[in-house]
Formats: sequence, structure tokens, C-alpha cells
Amino acid sequence: MASVTAEPIDTTIEVPGKRTPLVTGAHDYGTVTDAVCRLAECKTPTAWYVALGISASLMGMLFGLIGYLIITGVGVWGNRSPVFWGWPIVNFVFWVGIGHAGTLISAILFLFRQDWRTGINRAAEAMTIFAVICAGVFPGIHIGRVWLAYWLFPIPNQMAMWPNFRSPLLWDVFAVSTYATVSLLFWYMGMIPDLATLRDRATGKIQQFAYGLFSLGWNGSSRHWHRYERAYLLLAALAAPLVLSVHTIVSFDFAVSQLPGWHTTIFPPYFVAGAVFSGFAMVLTLMIPARKICGIEDLLTDRHLENMTKVIIATGTMVGYAYAMEFFIAWYGGNRYETFAFINRAFGPYAWAYWIMVSCNVISPQLFWIKKIRTTPWMIFVVCVFVNIGMWFERFVITVTSLSRDFLPSSWGYFRPTIIDVLMLIGSFGLFMTLFLLFCKFLPMVAMAEVKSVMPRPGGQSDHH
Amino acid sequence: MATTIEQPVKTKAEPELLGLLAEFDDPNALIEASKKVRDAGYQKWDTHTPFPLHGIDEAMGIKWTILPWIVAACGLTGGTIAIGMQYWMNAVNYPFLISGKPLFSIPACIPITFELSVLLSAFGAFFGMLVLNQLPKLYNPLFKSEAFRRATNDRFFISMDARDAKFSEIDSGEFLNSLNPVNVEEFWSDVESPKLPRNLKLALSLVGVILLMPPALVAYKRSTTTNSPRIHIVPDMDFQPKLKTQNTTNLFSDGREIRPNIKGTIPRGQFKDDNIPLYFGLKYLPEDQDVVGIALQDEKKADEKQPAAAEKPADPVLDAAAIEASKLDKLPWVTEFPMPVTEKMMARGKERYRIYCSACHGLGGEGDGLVSLRAMDLQQGTWVKPASYHTENVRKLPVGRLYHTITNGVRKMPAYGAQVPPEDRWAIVLYLRALQKSHEINADTIPEAEKRKLRDTK
Repeated sequence: MASVTAEPIDTTIEVPGKRTPLVTGAHDYGTVTDAVCRLAECKTPTAWYVALGISASLMGMLFGLIGYLIITGVGVWGNRSPVFWGWPIVNFVFWVGIGHAGTLISAILFLFRQDWRTGINRAAEAMTIFAVICAGVFPGIHIGRVWLAYWLFPIPNQMAMWPNFRSPLLWDVFAVSTYATVSLLFWYMGMIPDLATLRDRATGKIQQFAYGLFSLGWNGSSRHWHRYERAYLLLAALAAPLVLSVHTIVSFDFAVSQLPGWHTTIFPPYFVAGAVFSGFAMVLTLMIPARKICGIEDLLTDRHLENMTKVIIATGTMVGYAYAMEFFIAWYGGNRYETFAFINRAFGPYAWAYWIMVSCNVISPQLFWIKKIRTTPWMIFVVCVFVNIGMWFERFVITVTSLSRDFLPSSWGYFRPTIIDVLMLIGSFGLFMTLFLLFCKFLPMVAMAEVKSVMPRPGGQSDHH
Repeated sequence: MATTIEQPVKTKAEPELLGLLAEFDDPNALIEASKKVRDAGYQKWDTHTPFPLHGIDEAMGIKWTILPWIVAACGLTGGTIAIGMQYWMNAVNYPFLISGKPLFSIPACIPITFELSVLLSAFGAFFGMLVLNQLPKLYNPLFKSEAFRRATNDRFFISMDARDAKFSEIDSGEFLNSLNPVNVEEFWSDVESPKLPRNLKLALSLVGVILLMPPALVAYKRSTTTNSPRIHIVPDMDFQPKLKTQNTTNLFSDGREIRPNIKGTIPRGQFKDDNIPLYFGLKYLPEDQDVVGIALQDEKKADEKQPAAAEKPADPVLDAAAIEASKLDKLPWVTEFPMPVTEKMMARGKERYRIYCSACHGLGGEGDGLVSLRAMDLQQGTWVKPASYHTENVRKLPVGRLYHTITNGVRKMPAYGAQVPPEDRWAIVLYLRALQKSHEINADTIPEAEKRKLRDTK
């Protein structure tokens, strides 16, 4: 098949009457495959080994610290009366929030027929799984006696006891584990045809065996594709409400309690918007360097980046609205504890954290209204890093300020993290990056089959579905 | 030549023709070709594409899959399991009563019901798709074709199964060639079934053996006994670095872990000096004697006398009792109850007596309680029969003295001061007095109505 030669085009401009291509450059089906499989098949760049070395050491540090924590006890953290939910829960909510972008891109954008998702969905889903793994670590070790973690699940036990199904913390166990399982299925199922591609191109025995095993004998049969597409659509339809439910239930952990600053009905939509916001920022933070290093800029074009920044403006504005509305309700509701909690948040001992959060989350995404910033990758990267910082601080502000000053002034306190807290957060980034780097190296980073299906057919006829 | 007619000895199965494979380089050409194959009436054939091709379903005549129904069934199952589980676990098997709220309410069940419905639906979609597609199927004769490797890359294929009723090697081959493919090839079954590489087999069996070891070890340990202490994997809070009552420590100069009361302090509920008769059964506290001390000393002396008593036939119990009596007799016991005597107090005394005293002393106070009878039956040398209340000695004792006995015990009788509050002890003394009275009453003094009642119950 002859390659179609194309002029370099600016994909961020809409030309009336013409569909802006999702794949730029002179690509046909074969070259798309080559571009995606290159990293798995070629000699690994030294930079990858360096990056993996650093992340794997940080991951090792995290596991070492977890061992130390288990042997010593949760006292190694800064969690003290009155703040018993310190950084571990902040980190959990931060990571689980990041884990929302992948499934949102795969499921909701799929149902809305947003074809540009094909360029980013695989990496975003992978990021989701890895973020949920990082999230799962923290509540797991936060329970103190980790060897009793099975008490979280309704497993028959020698005490003849069952968990309390009216506790939001138990809802959370079900929500996060269901989300992790369904995201994994969704990700893996989407990857089966691409693993088959890698299998058919593999030359080494080990690669042939491993890819062959995980591609389950996929042969591209149209009868298989028919059921596969049905299953994919159904999984998307199931994952769409699921992704909204997960952070809703995470927000119930806070909202169902009676603590001023937590006990608000705005939490579920506010948390979901924040999760999508932070997730998209993290996808961009990872993909901007990754697309450069892996040479897939033709598949992951500036248009993809620009579309995602638009989602960030929308969700960032929603988050800003939620911050304002919380203050309004605190005043309008007339509850003096609630009023105090919010005044204390903005002007109390944690004002520094609050204003970091506001400037990163509300002000920085508004820069994306400027087209120059929206279409310049390094500027997007900088803004997204700020959004990530801001979203971590949002969870810190919500968790710590409310707990540190509740109803009884005699038990007020000021939270101070220990060095273990800080190192564990850094270590969780190590775990995340290690998994992501392994993914970039060994698995198809872009959904090849899906990209091919949204490319124009050789005859000029569009295969738009 | 003779060799031409010689048939090779059939040691292995002949390779068998499984079907034909036509390769196309254009998706539109594949769709056109598929329509022709469909119209020609072939049943067992398929197309292979690197991505889901729009329009191929109609071109091939693929029927709608039943997958959505499987998913719906799984979702309903998940929801039902979730509701049933939450109801049974929290309202039936282990009821959680929290602030008087109902044991079961739908709103609190919604999150988990939703999650489990989605989870099982997702399993249904994923595994249903695999089962309907007959995957995983790691061995496929098509994979032997070098050209077919591009089916997952950029080429499009039609495969035709030799088992199709219309299939014939020559006609079908010509038919496929007429569809303008890039290439047509045959695919054959293997002469011998493929074997796993030797190294892989070794590695797998090694992994299997290693995986079997922990359960085997657990099973062995569970079915045998050992003299060494069990392995304490998770000590939880079994070994705590804390001070306990009976242990020694270097922390304090007296070496004891238990700390004595600080001089001059009174523990909560232990202030008794404002009502000596009620708390001690004495008119006043004798200045030079510790009342509790006397009782304890005497009991100790009685115990020490036991071995000596073995030589002498004299009853050691009586001996000890005599010493005790001589000391206690001199104390200023109260003779009147230090609290108002009421009907209610009597009823309370009866109830407490039956709970705490009757097991040894018997319901009537003759010292014939079940515990005592059993001990006598066993002929235990150390058992001291409880005294009957109806002897002259006991009758003469002042109420204060009886109260003291209940509080501090006597001989083998333990002290009940710690478990029976003072008011209840006095009530028991009152009931004890009533029992004594009931054994020496003059029948003539009983009113006629009461006598009749006594007869009736007999």
C-alpha cells in the first residue's frame, strides 16, 4: 500500500467543512503499527534505564518504609490526636482521583463518540490502573494491623462477625476494588488485539511466548470483532457510571461524617470534577514527555493536547465554583461551626495551604484560555504540574484543616508530617513511574487497532463509526 | 523401478487440508469479496482484519450476539447478591443496631448494590466475550502462515474452512482467486501435535512443586503434634512491655510491679469511717486492733496447724475455731441492725442468701448445701463442713459478728466483702436470723391461718 504524502498541518485549527485528521504525517496502517511497536522492538534508550533506575529505587524505598511501618506501627506517621487522617488518606484520595482520567477518557468519551480519545486512551487507562494501585497501598497500610486487612471484606471468620454495610468506609472498599477490577478488565480487553500485533511481529522466543500467552490467541476474526465491540461498548457503558460513582463514594467518607467542613452535600460532584481535573493534568504531565521520547507525535497530536486542556479549563472552573459555593453555604447556612471551619480554612493556621490550592487549581488552569499556552506543549506541562500540586493540597486542606479544629477548642492541634510521611509520598511516585515505564517499554502505548479504525481508508472513504 | 510402487510406511498421520486463506491489501476489497463469499452460500468461513471493519458485519451476514443478555443477567445477579448479602449479614446473622435505626434500609444498600452489579456485569461482558469467541485458543493452524502475521497489522484475510459443505480444494480455490486477492494459500494440520519446549516443561514443574510446598507444610503441621511452642507469626498485642500485678521490676525500690496505696489516700468507694456499725459491724473501732487483720491471722494459724493435727486425733478445726473465738469474742460487736429493718430488706436478704450462701449452707441453713454434700461424698480431707446456724453457739452470736464473718470469711469460707455490698450483707444477716427463728418457734404461737397454709402446702 502506497504511503499518502501529506503536508504538515496545524491540527489545532478548525477548517469549516473539513474534518481535521486525528493522525498526522504520512501514515498508513503499517506505519502506525511500526510507530507504536518501535519502543518494544528496538534497542531500549539509555534514558529509559536511568529513569527506571531512579523510579525503582524510590519504589524500593516505599516498600522498605512500609515494612518499617508494619514492624513499628502507625506511630511513624505524623497522625496524632486530633488529626488521625493525615497524609496517608490525603495520598489515597490524591491517587484515586488521578485514576479517574483513564476510564473517563475510555468510557465516557467513547460513548460520546469522541474519536480523538483513541490516541490517548491506552496510556491514560494504564495510568489509571497504576494510580489506583498507588491509592490502594495507603488505606491498606493505614489500618495499622495490615495482616487483618481481610476484615474489610465480608469473609466468614472465626469471630462470626460481618462488616457494617452502612459505613461509607466499607462502600469505599467495594467502590475502589470494583473500579480497579473493571478498569483492569477494560484496559486488558482493549489491549488484546494490540498484544496480538506484538506477538505476530515478535522475533525473540520469550517475547513470542509472553505476547502469545496474553493475546489469548486473538486472530482478528470479524466474528470475534463483532462480539468484542459489543463487549467493549457494554464495558464502556458500565464504566461510565462507575467512574462517577467511585469518587462520589470516596467523598462520602467525608460527607457522611458530621465534621464541619466535611459534612456538605456538594462533595460528590465537587470530588468528581476535581478527580477528572487532576487525572487529565496527570495524563498530560506524562504524555507530553512520553510522546516526544517515544516518537508518537503523529498519533498524539497537538490537537489531542488542546482538547484535554479544554477539559481541564472546564473541570478547573467547576472546582473553583465548588470552593466558592462552600463558602457561600457556610455563610448562608448560618451554622456557626461550619462558618468557623471555612474562615479557619482560608485565614487560620493552614491559610498557606489553602492559598496554594486556590492559586494552583483555580487561577492556573484559566491560563488555558490563551491559545498560545493551550497549544505549546511545555507550557501545558508547566500548568499541569501546578494543577497536580494544587490537587494534592486540596485533599490536604479538606482532610487536615477540618480535623485539626473541630467542635472542642481544648483538643485543637496542628498537624506536622514526619519524614516517613514525606518519603512515602515520594515513594508512591516511584511506584507509579516504575509501572508506567515498564508499560511504555513492553506494552502498546497507543491503541493501534482503534487508531486504525478512525483513519481514513485507502480508498478515501472515511471509516467513521 | 521397484521403488516407485513402494508405499512409505504410515507411521504418522498424514497432514490434512484445513482450508484456504486469501489475502487482501485493501479493506474495501475485502468487504466486496465477503459479499460474494456470502452470496455463494459458504457457511464456515471468516474474515480477519487488524481493526474492527465498519460494514463487514452486513457483508458477511453476522448475526447479533447474545452478549448483552448475558451481561444483563450477570448485572441482575450481582444486584441480587448484594441486596441479599447486606440484608442477611447486617439484619439477620449479625444484627447491627446503631442508634435505634432500622436493621435494614435500602438507601444505605445502594452504593454496594450498584458496585456489585457493575462488577458482575463487567465480568459477564469480558468473560462472556471470551467464551463466545472460544478464546483463549493459543494454538491455531492459521498462525503457521507467514503472511497471516500481517492480519494484526495491515492486511485483510478471508479464511475458508475445509469442513464447509460447499468446500472443494479446486473449486473453492478458483473462486477465491476470482475475488482479486493479493495471494491465496492453503493451510494444513500439523503432522504431529506440537510439544512444549523441554525447558518450559521443567520450569513449569519446578514452579508447581514450589507452589505445592507451603500448603503441604501447613497440612503437615496441622496434622502432627510438637513439643516446641507454636510459631507466633503475628504477635498482635500478646507480648506487651507493661507492668503486671504479680511481676517484679527494677523500676521501684521494693521490686514490686504492683504499687501500694499512697499513705493517707482513700480509694473511691472505700471511705468507711463515718459509719462504723454499718461497715464493720462494730460499735466503734478498737484502737489497738485491726479487725480484718485478726481474721486473716487466725485463718493462717488454722492452716499452719493442719500438719500438726495429723499426729493428734484432736479436731484441728475446733482448735482453730477456739483460738479465733477467743480473740473475736472480745470485740464490741453491734447487737442491733445499723439500718432500718423492713419487709423489703428481708426479701432482699432471702434472695441474696439463696444466691451466695445456700450452695454450701443449704436453703435452711443446716450446712447441707449441694457443694458441701458433694465434698463430703468425695471424702476430701481438706473440706470443713459449714457450720449449722441452728446450734447454740451460732444462735448466741451478735449480728455484728455474723456480718463480720460474711465480710471476711472464716475457716474455709472465703470473704464475701468484695462481691456483696454492705447493705446486702446486713440483709443476709437479717434473713439468717429469720431462719434461726424458724427452727425454734413454738407451734402454738402460729396463727391458725398460717398453720392451715403450712398444712396445705404439704
